[in-house]
Amino acid sequence: MSDVFPKWTNKLPLKIAVGVVLVGAAVTAGAWYYLTPKYSRVGYQPIQPVPFSHATHAGQMGMDCRYCHSTVEKSWYANIPAANVCMNCHNQVLKDDPRLALIRESAATGKPVPWVQIHRTPDYAYFNHSVHVTRGVGCVDCHGRIDQMEVVAQAQPLSMAFCLDCHRNPAAAIRPADKVTDLAWTNSPAQQKLFGEKAIKDWKVQALDNCSACHR
Amino acid sequence: MKTIPPQCPEPETVKYWKSIDQLENAPEFNTWLEREFPDGASENKGDFNRRDFVKLMGASLSMAGIGVLGSGCRKPEQNIYPFAKLPDDYIHGKAKYYATAMPTRGSAMPLLVRSDDGRPTKVEGNPEYPDSNGGTDTFAQASVLSVYDPDRAQRFAIGGSDASRAKAFDALNELARNAAGKQGQGLAFLVERSSSPSLVRLAQATKQKLPQAKWFAYDAVDFDIHRQAASLGAGKSVTPYFRFDQAKAILSLDCDFIGSENDTYLHCRNFARGRGVKKAGDTMNRLYSVEPLMTQTGMSADHRLRVAGSQVIAVAAAIAAKLGVAVDASKFPLPAHVKPAWIEECAKDLAANKGTALVVAGYRQPFAVHLIANAINAALGANGKTVQFRETPDLGEGNIAQLAQALNGGQVETLVILGGNPGYTAPADLDWSTTQRKAKNVIRLGYYEDETFAATDIHIPAAHYLEAWGDARTADGTFVPVQPLIQPLFGGLSEIEVLAFFAGVEPSGYKIARETFGGDDEAWKKYLHDGFIAGTALKPIDVQFNPAALGQALAQASIGAPNKDQLEVIFTRDYKLDDGRWANNAWLMELPDPVTKMSWDNAIHISRKTAAELGLKNAQIVDVELNGRKVRGGVWVVPGQADYTLGLSLGFGREKGGRIANFNGAKTGFNFYPLRTTQTGNIAVGAKIAATSQTYSFACTQDHWSLEGRTIIREANLKDFNEHPDFAKKFDFPEPPGGNQSLYPNPLDWKRDATHQWGMAIDLSQCVGCNACTIACQSENNIPTVGKDQVRRGREMHWLRIDRYFSGNPELAKSHNALTPEQGQYLEEWIDDPQAVNQPMMCQHCEAAPCENVCPVNATVHDQEGLNLMVYNRCVGTRYCSNNCPWKVRRFNYFDYSKRPIENLYKPTTTFKVTKREDEWELLKLVKNPDVTVRMRGVMEKCTFCVQRIEAAKITTKVAAGQSAPKPVADGVIKTACQQVCPAEAIVFGNINDPKSAVSLLKASPRNYTTLEFLNTIPRLTYLARIRNPNPAMPDYYDMPLTAKAYFEKAGHHDAHEGAAGAGTNGVEKKGAH
Repeated sequence: MSDVFPKWTNKLPLKIAVGVVLVGAAVTAGAWYYLTPKYSRVGYQPIQPVPFSHATHAGQMGMDCRYCHSTVEKSWYANIPAANVCMNCHNQVLKDDPRLALIRESAATGKPVPWVQIHRTPDYAYFNHSVHVTRGVGCVDCHGRIDQMEVVAQAQPLSMAFCLDCHRNPAAAIRPADKVTDLAWTNSPAQQKLFGEKAIKDWKVQALDNCSACHR
Repeated sequence: MKTIPPQCPEPETVKYWKSIDQLENAPEFNTWLEREFPDGASENKGDFNRRDFVKLMGASLSMAGIGVLGSGCRKPEQNIYPFAKLPDDYIHGKAKYYATAMPTRGSAMPLLVRSDDGRPTKVEGNPEYPDSNGGTDTFAQASVLSVYDPDRAQRFAIGGSDASRAKAFDALNELARNAAGKQGQGLAFLVERSSSPSLVRLAQATKQKLPQAKWFAYDAVDFDIHRQAASLGAGKSVTPYFRFDQAKAILSLDCDFIGSENDTYLHCRNFARGRGVKKAGDTMNRLYSVEPLMTQTGMSADHRLRVAGSQVIAVAAAIAAKLGVAVDASKFPLPAHVKPAWIEECAKDLAANKGTALVVAGYRQPFAVHLIANAINAALGANGKTVQFRETPDLGEGNIAQLAQALNGGQVETLVILGGNPGYTAPADLDWSTTQRKAKNVIRLGYYEDETFAATDIHIPAAHYLEAWGDARTADGTFVPVQPLIQPLFGGLSEIEVLAFFAGVEPSGYKIARETFGGDDEAWKKYLHDGFIAGTALKPIDVQFNPAALGQALAQASIGAPNKDQLEVIFTRDYKLDDGRWANNAWLMELPDPVTKMSWDNAIHISRKTAAELGLKNAQIVDVELNGRKVRGGVWVVPGQADYTLGLSLGFGREKGGRIANFNGAKTGFNFYPLRTTQTGNIAVGAKIAATSQTYSFACTQDHWSLEGRTIIREANLKDFNEHPDFAKKFDFPEPPGGNQSLYPNPLDWKRDATHQWGMAIDLSQCVGCNACTIACQSENNIPTVGKDQVRRGREMHWLRIDRYFSGNPELAKSHNALTPEQGQYLEEWIDDPQAVNQPMMCQHCEAAPCENVCPVNATVHDQEGLNLMVYNRCVGTRYCSNNCPWKVRRFNYFDYSKRPIENLYKPTTTFKVTKREDEWELLKLVKNPDVTVRMRGVMEKCTFCVQRIEAAKITTKVAAGQSAPKPVADGVIKTACQQVCPAEAIVFGNINDPKSAVSLLKASPRNYTTLEFLNTIPRLTYLARIRNPNPAMPDYYDMPLTAKAYFEKAGHHDAHEGAAGAGTNGVEKKGAH
């Protein structure tokens, strides 16, 4: 038989077994790494230079998101407020609080506050805030319960699959205009189905799953 | 199984031809055609072969993977820096548009410029300006790149070394004080032509303050001759304003008003409006062109006469004599090859169009020709109708020869050069760098530290027109603001700011422009907002021409007699670099010349007869000698050029021009200025050519993207169109036995319910091939430049190209047995008088797209609105799509052209980070359009129909609708970049679902046709067949355009009207063997 199976084949089963184990380990490690929410940074919660609490401002005091993020209905970009917006109140309230030192400095000197970016889509994805917000997509759908966060963390993966879930079935997420910034508002599944389907028809909402919807 | 493609009804030999090589059927050309990609593009011939590469890459990737897993480092932390105080009206992510104007020599172009976060990114024409349609030209489009030119003068320099701004200001003030003390004695200003009222105001103030100061003006390409000639006859300073829209019969005497004159954006529009006939019976203008070089105007002409530049005067005089102008034509004998009937019939046609005829003379021509043109216009009753005259201030500047004389005579102590680069452009006999040095102080405002810099004492960096305040007057005299969009990047000054030192006013461009404007603040705001003041166009005045001026000019004029040993040289404004001022602009440098399709070079243009008689081969390097001066350059045979003339375009071969003008440390192109003296002017006879044994390698894009003579261009004469408006359909291939089925599935067959279905139509009758769309597309879509070497490999990245086809007379061709491949055939006579056609070519957005079906990774797919999309992130670079594209409009990013240094693409690297030089990258990234992905290497790209503009418009309607149904995007709201820029209004884009949209109306035109329609891919881009309007009485009249003639002749039918079907079937038989 040595003519058919030369001597080196004796070790072949072992080699194959080791190979299979190695490949299996790589696949497992890859899946572990890339398929978990950690990869898409769900839960990413960096320390911000100013300990601003959304729970206090948006939750307790009930401030509207658009007071600070004022361009959200006009531009693709939802702005981080300028320091002078903070100072509108904080020149009266907590005006000597050490936690606000950076804000006061920024307003006085013009030096920007280096906020750490949390929500981020890649450069080749042209997400547009204005068209989502004005057409009934709630802030909460992508950003989670910001009004309950002391320190903001990323709530959703913001991956392409995440976008497409909604883009393929917008009826499930669409809400009335006055509830867009209401992070606590929910709808019963039956009512949502009714409202969503009517809105799709009346507002001519399209399920945009073409590449050109986001990529240019 | 091999799929057999549909057969095509093409002639078996090439009739449309794009290059000499193609005509010859040269082996190189056929190799080029047959290869999917140019040589070397897909294989690696070095020692380091593909297997090695894969091994190494595999190893390094696994190492990298371990590194990533081990360290756990994920996405880097990024910061957001908000404003401390938000500026009013500022919304990040929303582009702003500001009205401004680009000053040109003695005129201006009103613009609307896009600003993203404070940086100008895209130039558009101002559509609200009444004399504009929003069109611009290549220079305006590319000017935004020059703002971010890393080789700009970035410092104040005194004696060649760095100086602070304050120190330079002190020095200027000191000089101004000294000059004021001496009433300006010993002070001289050298300016360029300008229309700025502020400049005129300051110049007059300076003259008052410094009456002894002398003023000189110099432009290497000087359009002021139109004013000077008109003023000679009129007795006062008047500028002509040509109304091509009013003209029905136009005679151009070497006047390239479509390509290289001033205000071409305006002339193109006005001319093209007279060409786009809609239905049978519509009138159309007719263009006669008499010219030595093949120009864009000549390519658009209905009748073109090749005459040497020095003999244009003979044709002008002969036509004038026929029209009753008192000209002694016998002094200017007609060249032997000019048929008297041509003169006779042309004159007759002009006379028949009294009041709607227009004769224009080009800037290259001497006074006499201009005055003859003026006299003919007067005789034809054109004055006040097709040509209007406006009074213009005359500063009475001297010329540069007079300045040189003053310098040599020691009369100039201080020389102030406001713009321009005389060190490079001044006539060679003035020996400018030495002459300039004879002034004790030389102050120069310059955009670059260039050839003039060395002999300068105080060098002031010039501000770009997008950085400085100013004003200007447009062609009709309308007052327009020059409004900055950004602070001068390097603290530069404008002309008026430098002049302010001497005029004794504060050097603040804003204050000067504001004071010139006068008026209240509301009017000022409206002026800046609108970008013009309505009703400030200068009133046309009545002008009586003095015949004595004409007599005098004719007495001084002479006619040249160029021959083989006494060649005529013609210096001409370059279509891309102008007089050299755009030499460091990569977009313009890489743009193919509209006539030769040459990129990154200029050449000595020559006719085939001259080349043959002198025994020259194409691309051979020769020395041209004129009056003892010599230049060297490569020759290029250009069809349609007058015999014994040499076309020398200026602006190349710069000594010190920057990293593009001196690419890789070498001069780009050939410098012909050393041949040009004060005596030669623009045209001179007496040059000799001495051939060398070397051959130059040109980067010419015309061999690329050949369509092998298929009927993709369809043309007819106006007469035929009137009789058979649907003639274009007759070129269609007859329906094959199996029916008109596409080889490919049409994704829209399953779902076609979208509100919008995008489409485009291009009117070939209106397109003049000006190239503005190519640059507009480059600017809008972040298209990189690739360098000469890459262009030679066929890797230019332009998403939109202009295909330029020549066609020769098939009868002449046959008599010379030109239909058989034969070496040296390009030296046959029949290419001498070709007809030319331009066709903008980009992605056709086929519904049943061949590219989509061969992509293994779904990287190119359709959307529901009919766009053929390119998904860069999916693309793995197989290039199958490009291989399968019948129109060859896809571009592959072989290197990371956007980010890598194009002068050093082949340098082996050990890191993944190879970027452009830092200064270059930091500046060039500012010009990018933030709405378009910057593509990286290994990715296919192509025209997207400006999907970013479409999506932006759709989002606007949706946001406006809020929680109600959005309206469809209104027609005309979305303009693609090419459509917006097109001065000829040839490109129309819109929703073909809307039967009333402009594009639907065009597509309903009987002239509408689809290229390669027999493939049944259903392109969304269609063309409108071109109409020519030749005069049947002319000796060079053809009963149908030569392209059509060749097509029908091949098909065996001479009668176009019944021959179409037969042509198709014949085509099948002949194509069988192909």
